[in-house]
Amino acid sequence: MNGHPTRPEDFDLYALGVLEGEEKAAIESHVPTCAECATRLAEARGRIGLLAFSAPRVEPSPTVRERLMRQIHASVEGAEAQRAQREPERAGGFFGRWWAAVLVPACILLLFVAARLRNENERLSRELAQEQATLQQQQKQLDEALHAQALLESKDTVSVALAQQPGMPKGDVRVMYNSKMGMAMCDGWVEPAPANKSYQLWLVPKDGKPISAGVIDGGPINPWTVKLPQGMAAKAFAVTLEPAGGMPQPTGPMVLVGPVT
Amino acid sequence: MSGQTGTDLRASDAALIQKIVQRDESALAALYDRYASLLSSLLNRILRDTQASEEILQDVFFQLWMNAAQFDPARGSLPGWLTVIARNRAISRLRRHTPSAGEELRETTVIVPVNLENAITQQQLLGRVMGALGNLSTEQRAAIELAYFEGLTHSEIASRTGDPLGTVKTRIRTAVESLKRNLLS
Repeated sequence: MNGHPTRPEDFDLYALGVLEGEEKAAIESHVPTCAECATRLAEARGRIGLLAFSAPRVEPSPTVRERLMRQIHASVEGAEAQRAQREPERAGGFFGRWWAAVLVPACILLLFVAARLRNENERLSRELAQEQATLQQQQKQLDEALHAQALLESKDTVSVALAQQPGMPKGDVRVMYNSKMGMAMCDGWVEPAPANKSYQLWLVPKDGKPISAGVIDGGPINPWTVKLPQGMAAKAFAVTLEPAGGMPQPTGPMVLVGPVT
Repeated sequence: MSGQTGTDLRASDAALIQKIVQRDESALAALYDRYASLLSSLLNRILRDTQASEEILQDVFFQLWMNAAQFDPARGSLPGWLTVIARNRAISRLRRHTPSAGEELRETTVIVPVNLENAITQQQLLGRVMGALGNLSTEQRAAIELAYFEGLTHSEIASRTGDPLGTVKTRIRTAVESLKRNLLS
């Protein structure tokens, strides 16, 4: 078959990666020849890609950004060095050599000055980049602090104390929750999690399935705010023990739980 | 040129891509700050391995730096593309399969129905996606997650869950129809 796929969902199923055999081959052979279906597949990729938002939030370590910036900086310097190496090869013949003999001392001097200026420029650029990164980090912290302040000052915010469940690791966790704002803040402490396990905080709605409110490391909890669906009628908050990194839905035992009253 | 030029943090993705083509390192940093959290969450969910997730995260943005000139923002969404590439690489790593990464920038066009360039839209979208998933049955949602986060095909999901292949196909098709309806509503 090399006609248009008969069902519109075929593009989403292909983007999801579930098709195989003839069904997959039919799309792969048709799309490169049909602009209309290529657009429909691009739209399906975009829709399916939105599922990424359902992954529990995990911030990357700041070292990843540092490593990335070092890597691209090194690639720029490498490209410039290669370019500089190729330049002398272009000068050739009698006139090239004569002019070179005249200009070499001046060029050496200029290169020396240029190198110093470049080093200075790079140093200033690096400092500027660091300042920008710091400023951005501070802005992020300020935003979080403002969110936390708004949460704590709102009359609609309720405090939920989570009680330890029998036989479970010890902990004392409190959640400040505001349904109208769709926001919660968590603090307290919990015993270190066993190897390859994480604690995970859940909002348990009155109707529907639990919603992840973030993964908790063992020890004292750095208070953090988390966005949740607005207007959600919550029945309780709970902490469960899950595989490291957390799960989309609770699978492990309940360690702490507290009703929203 | 390798200068950091004080990139406007509100600049559009297209403007930042243009600056990256001109070798502006701060433009890449701005895009990283915009989308690294989304990709990190996705990669950690698929791989459950912080080190491997961070390697891929760095690699995806380095590929963007090296190949930005090939990316045409008019043809698709940058975060959509980044998400597709990150997911493909993570699933390839999970399944110990080497992808043909060289074609990614040119061939993977992704059109996202909303503009993801600001954090507020991303937060709103999070609620909409969670709502759409919440409308699925437990079995539908599990099947969608096995496909999206573990890269399993129809028959692999049937084998994993023990359900008949036809049941799995119907379950996923109706789930996809429901997601499509709810995400676009």
